[in-house]
This record gives sequence, structure tokens and C-alpha cells, in this order.
Amino acid sequence: MHNALMQKLVQALIDGDQATAVAQTHQLQAAGLAREAIITDGIEAAMTQLDARCTVEQFNLLEIMLAGRAVMSAMKVLYPGDAAMFPSQGTIILASLEGDVHDLGKNILKMVLTAKGYRVVDCGKDCPVDRLIATARQEAPLAVGISGLITTVIPQVRQVRTKMHALGLTQIKVMAGGAALKQATVQSLQVDFIGETAFDCLHYVETLPGGAL
Amino acid sequence: MPVVTIKLDEGERHLPFEPGVSLRELLDTTDIRVRTACRGIGACGLCRVQIEAGDAGEPTPGEYLHLDDAELAKGFRLACQIMPTSDLQVTILARSPTSAWRNLPLANRRFEYLSTFPRRNVTPKMLNPYGVAIDLGTTHISLALHTLIGHQRLAGRYGLNPQIAVGSDVITRLAAASEDAEQARYLRDLVVNGIAEALFDLGLREGLNLEQIIRLTLVGNTAMIALLSGRNYTQLLHPRYWMQAIDCLPEDPQIWIDPWGLHPEAEIVIIPPLAGFVGSDVLAGVLAMNLTDTSEPALLIDFGTNSEMALWDGTTLWVTSAAGGPAFEGSGLRCGMPAEPGAIYRVTLNDGVFDPLVIADTAPRGICGSGLVDLIANLISADLLTSVGRFAPQVPNEGVFIAHGERNIVLTRKDVDLFQRAKAAIGTGCQVLLREAGLSAQDLGRICLGGAFGRFLDVRNAQAIGLLPNINPDRVELYGNTALLGCEDLLRSPVACEHLNDLRTQTTMINLGQCDDFDELFLENLFLQPS
Ligand code: B12
Ligand code: FES
Repeated sequence: MHNALMQKLVQALIDGDQATAVAQTHQLQAAGLAREAIITDGIEAAMTQLDARCTVEQFNLLEIMLAGRAVMSAMKVLYPGDAAMFPSQGTIILASLEGDVHDLGKNILKMVLTAKGYRVVDCGKDCPVDRLIATARQEAPLAVGISGLITTVIPQVRQVRTKMHALGLTQIKVMAGGAALKQATVQSLQVDFIGETAFDCLHYVETLPGGAL
Repeated sequence: MPVVTIKLDEGERHLPFEPGVSLRELLDTTDIRVRTACRGIGACGLCRVQIEAGDAGEPTPGEYLHLDDAELAKGFRLACQIMPTSDLQVTILARSPTSAWRNLPLANRRFEYLSTFPRRNVTPKMLNPYGVAIDLGTTHISLALHTLIGHQRLAGRYGLNPQIAVGSDVITRLAAASEDAEQARYLRDLVVNGIAEALFDLGLREGLNLEQIIRLTLVGNTAMIALLSGRNYTQLLHPRYWMQAIDCLPEDPQIWIDPWGLHPEAEIVIIPPLAGFVGSDVLAGVLAMNLTDTSEPALLIDFGTNSEMALWDGTTLWVTSAAGGPAFEGSGLRCGMPAEPGAIYRVTLNDGVFDPLVIADTAPRGICGSGLVDLIANLISADLLTSVGRFAPQVPNEGVFIAHGERNIVLTRKDVDLFQRAKAAIGTGCQVLLREAGLSAQDLGRICLGGAFGRFLDVRNAQAIGLLPNINPDRVELYGNTALLGCEDLLRSPVACEHLNDLRTQTTMINLGQCDDFDELFLENLFLQPS
């Protein structure tokens, strides 16, 4: 039963059919499914299937952008009115690094954290490491989260902690995730934490001093 | 030719272009590059420019996705999506930091679909496996990245070989390595890191995943390969090894998978040189030119610090090499420079005044090989220079003034002398090859030129001063990096690899050092006159 509904959502997302995607998300929620499940089995599953179309040979930008838009609308259903939230927790900085313009995953992360009361400072996509660090210096966050979808950002990820430590920002944790980073080890990326999903990120943040409820 | 005018803080630049390339491709050939993170398919949205004047055509769907109405109304566009057809005035909104690695010249592109060799079958370990071809040269390292299931070159880079920091010529580097194992390791690390950086630039700016590279093929001259492998480079300092095969392949090239960031199971193939002075780069060049495919005699000259010449007489490939010095690459001359942005690449003489053309229309910074050929030919025809290489009395002592730039650009007597030597080395080499094969220049159906000059050389001027034999100019073909083109064939085609091995058995090497009348021939070739 859930499976069939979920399948419809996945199809709607792949087709970039915003209206159906929104309707399906509502239905899945009404059927009692947790947001976590809808994101992992619905949204992420759809994106994985789109993978093949994003290759050099058969790239269809429009298709993927439409899918992206459908994903964002479905997210709004899951996390309505996040902007109105009153932050009750510490600050988290998020960014996709220079050369990486993928931000769907980062935005999901943002919504999940915001919904849990964190104040999220979003450095956006294509953000140079130095700007990320300058922001960290200003905002004194609990952690910075890097979302990496394209492997060329890996060398940049490796610089973040060293550069922050050089500035004495040793309290701030560095988290990494996203398709290009999640298979790596914390040693190889020189970060404090690597997470599979947005919820792993949330759970980790909750363990930080000043991060728990 | 239509012109794109780029407005920069430093001033305006004028880039003439042949329609058919995108604005991004045009910029990529210069030092003013726009930011990018995809292959120019409208995916990353970073290559923003503003059109100030001129018709840039309708925005593509990709541009509508990345730019909102207000931005489009201001003339914001994506450089990779614009195919200029007429004059345009452009401001760059997002400029890329300068890099040591440049895009391959557009001229090399025409080869993309011309390769005659059938493709390798790949059992895909992934959806879209890539391969990389590398030409490891003394002065430059060039790379081309291909998809192994399609048939196209996706992107390429070239830049200076970082070993230049140790010495610009092969001998200095070999000597440094032979004296001290530490230096040898240092030299090897320089190239390994240089290649890593070039690959990184490719990945980042084109949005390509290096881990999809499952095959890497490298050609190079013998010394460069020996230094890369760290094996038997000392032998190359002894003339007796020049005509012999050198055991210089790396024991385990797979160790570079990690520093180069390739697929963990990638195969790295170093194509072995033929002998001390015939590297796999020369053989690759012969392959790419299809030099030996017919019975018609053909000559390949690969211009460089060390120029190689290969002559096919229908049955035998005669190969020699002549160290003429780096004049054609613009080194060693007072105002010389490689064919890069800022180099004067063409010179005409109008009413006693030189009219120089500068690559990428910057302020001139120097003169490159093709500019030098034009300049010398013009000076001779204007009677300002004799065929012996002496300036006319009216030329001031400091030399011939060519243009104002950051500094005045002049041609000195010493420059002319260096040029004559480089030219004579090549002329002698060609003459000796023809003689060995029992041919005359008129028998040549083709002359293929590769290397430093690229597409800029004026063939008639080159003939007027005896740099090239006096045959019908239509039979002279200009290419960029022939070794890289051949390496791309080797990367993609097992048939090309077999063909290369056939070439090895068909080759006869000629050592100019052992040629009895070398001195006489060299002297004759020093003259700046048709040969
Ligand atoms: C959508 C998409 C695009 C869209 C992006 C739209 C946008 N606004 O984001 C567009 C069309 C613009 C695009 C463009 C390109 N793309 Co694209 N794209 C994708 C695609 C199909 C889906 C990515 C996605 O959004 N996934 C869904 C989200 C929800 O997943 P996620 O980001 O992983 O996030 C989840 C978790 O990982 C985690 N998470 C995320 N961040 C973080 C951070 C932390 C700290 C933690 C703990 C957890 C965490 O939480 C999220 C929710 O649970 C993938 C294919 C794929 N299957 O991954 C290719 C893909 C990422 N793209 C790719 C490429 C190459 C490109 C291009 C260069 C195009 C090209 N082929 O030439 C361009 C330019 C991109 C650039 N330079 O950045 C490659 C990357 C290859 C590589 N490994 O380097 C992929 C893998 C496709 C492929 N196989 O070729 N792309
Ligand atoms: S959109 Fe133009 S280079 Fe990526």
C-alpha cells in the first residue's frame, strides 16, 4: 500500500510533475509515513534513478531541473513554513563548495535542521572555502556542514578543518555528506563527521555540547 | 572576421573569431577565462557574462533556468551558450582565477572526428568511462580527456612541464638526476604533481569526475619517460645509447592511480620509446599523420627545442633528431616567448612600419616562433637584413624595433643568429634524411608540421628563408601537437597500438652526429634564403 504510493511519488519526481509530487506527499503523510521515510525512499530514490540521465552523453538539463523543482515543493509539504521558526538551538553553517552547484541535498539538510530549531546560516552553492571560513568566524557555529555532490570538491573539503584550526576555530566541528563525500572516511577527508542522510547529520549535531535539546 | 570585444578593468581586448565556437571556447583560448564547472552544456550556470552591445542570439533553455527575467533584461547570459556570429561587446561577470593549465588550442579540435582508427571495445565498469592521453614533453605537458564509449574528446589542457624549474633542457635535468638520487626523486615528483594538477583543473572546470578515468596512455621523449620512471636516465647522457633501446618503463605505473585520482582499477600505459633519441612522441606523431599509409613520400617535422624529423619513402621510415635550440618556442631570444596570449604571432610590413598581430589581443609581451619567421622574412625582403644574417647599416645597434609593450620589443643580432642555428639544424636534418632515402624535396607529397608553430606559421615566409623546402605550399599541412593526437589514437584504438609496433620495425634511425659532411650542410643551411 505504502509502496504503491511511494512509487507514484518517485515517478512524479522523476517526471518533474510538481502537482502530483505535492499531492502524493500529502497522501503519504496522511497514510502515516514519517518524513524520514518519504525523504529516503521517495526523494532520494528518485534522484538516484535520474543519475543515468545526468551523464555527459544523455544530459537533459531541463528534465533534471524540473525534478529538482518538484523535490523542493515536496520538501515544503514535509517542512511547511520553516522560515517562521524561532531558533532555539545553536547555529549550523551549510555550504556546497566552489565548483559545486548542486544544492538540493543541502537544502533538505537545511529544512531538517531548521525544523528542529537550529539556526542555519546558508552559504549557498559554489562557495569558496575562504568565504565559508570567514562566515564561521563571524557566526561561531556548532558545526559547518559541507554538502558535496561532485568529486572535484574533495581537495577543498580537506582544507576546511586545517584552515579553521589555523585561525583558532578549534571548537567548530566539520561535517560532510552528499553523494561525492559519503563513501569517504573522516581521516581521508580530514573532517569530524560524515553522514549518509540529512537525519544522520541531525543526530550528530544533537550529540554536540550545546547541540542537544 | 567578426570581433568580440571584452571589457576588463585593465582595458579592452579584441578577439577576432571564426563563427562556430562558443564565447566560452573563445575565452578559454586566452588568459581571460570565465568561471565554469561543467563542460559548457549550460548545467553549472557559472559562466556569466553581460552583453553590452551586439546580437548574441536568443537565450537557450539552459539560460532561462539559470538567469531570471531581471538578469536577462540586463543582458546577462551564459558564455557557453552563446555562439557569436557577429561583433559583440561583453563584460565578464565571473572571472576565473588564472591557472598554470590552459585549454588546448582550438586548432587541435579539427582532428576530433578524423581519426581513422577503429575504437577500442570497453567493458564498461561504469556508465561512462573516460580515458586520458598525455604527451609528456620537455617544455610542455599536454592532456586530452576522451569518453571511451562515444567518440569525442571532452576536454584538454596544456601547460609548462614544472621540471623547467631545474633546467630548461633535457641534459641539465638528466645530469641533475644522475648526480643526486634526491634530485631524481624531486624531478619525478614535479611531473607527477604537474599531471595531477592538470587533471584537477580539468575535473574542476569541466565538471568531470576523474574517477571515471579507466585508462591513461602516455607518450613522451625518452628522457622525460626515463625521469618519470626513475630508471636508466643516466644512460641517456652517453651518446652510445642514443641509437639503442633504453629500458626506461616504470616498474609499476599503477602507483600513480592515487595521486592522479583515477578509477582504482585504471590501467596506466606508458608507450615505450624506440631508442635514446627517438621517443614514443615521435612515433605517435607519425601515427596520427598517417604518414606511412600510402607509398607517397611524406615528411613530418616536429618543431621543438629538440626537433624531430621523420621521412617516409614508401617502405622505410627514416627518423632523426636535431637539437636546434628553443628559438622556435621563443626561448633564449631577447623578446621571445611561447605562442601564448601576448605573443606576436604574425608580422606584416607596411610602408616600412611593422604591423604585429598579438595572440588574445593583449599588449604585446614578446614574439613567438611564427612571428619570428614572418619578421625575418620581411626584414630580408625589405633589405634590412642580409641572407647572411647581418642587419643593414640603418638598423640601430640595439636591434630592430617591432612594437611597444610592457617593454619595447626588439629583434637583436644575437636573436637572428640563434634563429639561424635552429633553422639550420632542421634544414640539415631534412636534407640528410632525403639523401639517405634517395629522394629530393620535390618528391614529397606532404609535409606535416607539428609543434610550437601550431596553425600560425606562414608557409611562404618559411620557404622564403629556407626553413621549409620549396614545394607547392598546398602540400604543407599545419598541426598543433601531433604527438598528443597520436596518443589519443593509441588511447582509443588497439589497431593504432599494433600500427605503432609495426612502425618500430620499419624505422631506420639516422644520427646526425655521425654524418660526415654535417658541417658543410649546416653552413649552407645557415643562409636565410630559399633552399
Ligand atoms: C540534480 C542533479 C543536478 C542538477 C542540480 C540542481 C540543484 N539545484 O541541485 C543540475 C542539473 C544543475 C546538475 C548539474 C550538473 N551535474 Co548533476 N546531478 C544531479 C543528480 C541527478 C541528483 C543530485 C541530487 O540532487 N540528489 C538528491 C539529494 C537529495 O541527495 P544528496 O545531495 O546526496 O543529499 C542527501 C544526503 O547525501 C545527505 N547530505 C547531503 N549533504 C550533506 C551534508 C552533510 C554534512 C551530511 C551529513 C549529509 C548530507 O542529505 C541529503 C538528504 O538525505 C546527480 C545524480 C545522483 N544520483 O546523485 C547528478 C550528479 C551529482 N551530477 C553530476 C554532474 C557531473 C553534473 C554536471 C557537471 C553535468 C555534467 N554531467 O557535465 C553539472 C554541473 C554541476 C556542478 N558543477 O556542480 C555527477 C557528479 C559526478 C561526480 N561524482 O563528480 C552526478 C553524480 C551525475 C553523474 N553520474 O554524472 N546536476
Ligand atoms: S553553464 Fe556555462 S560552463 Fe557551465
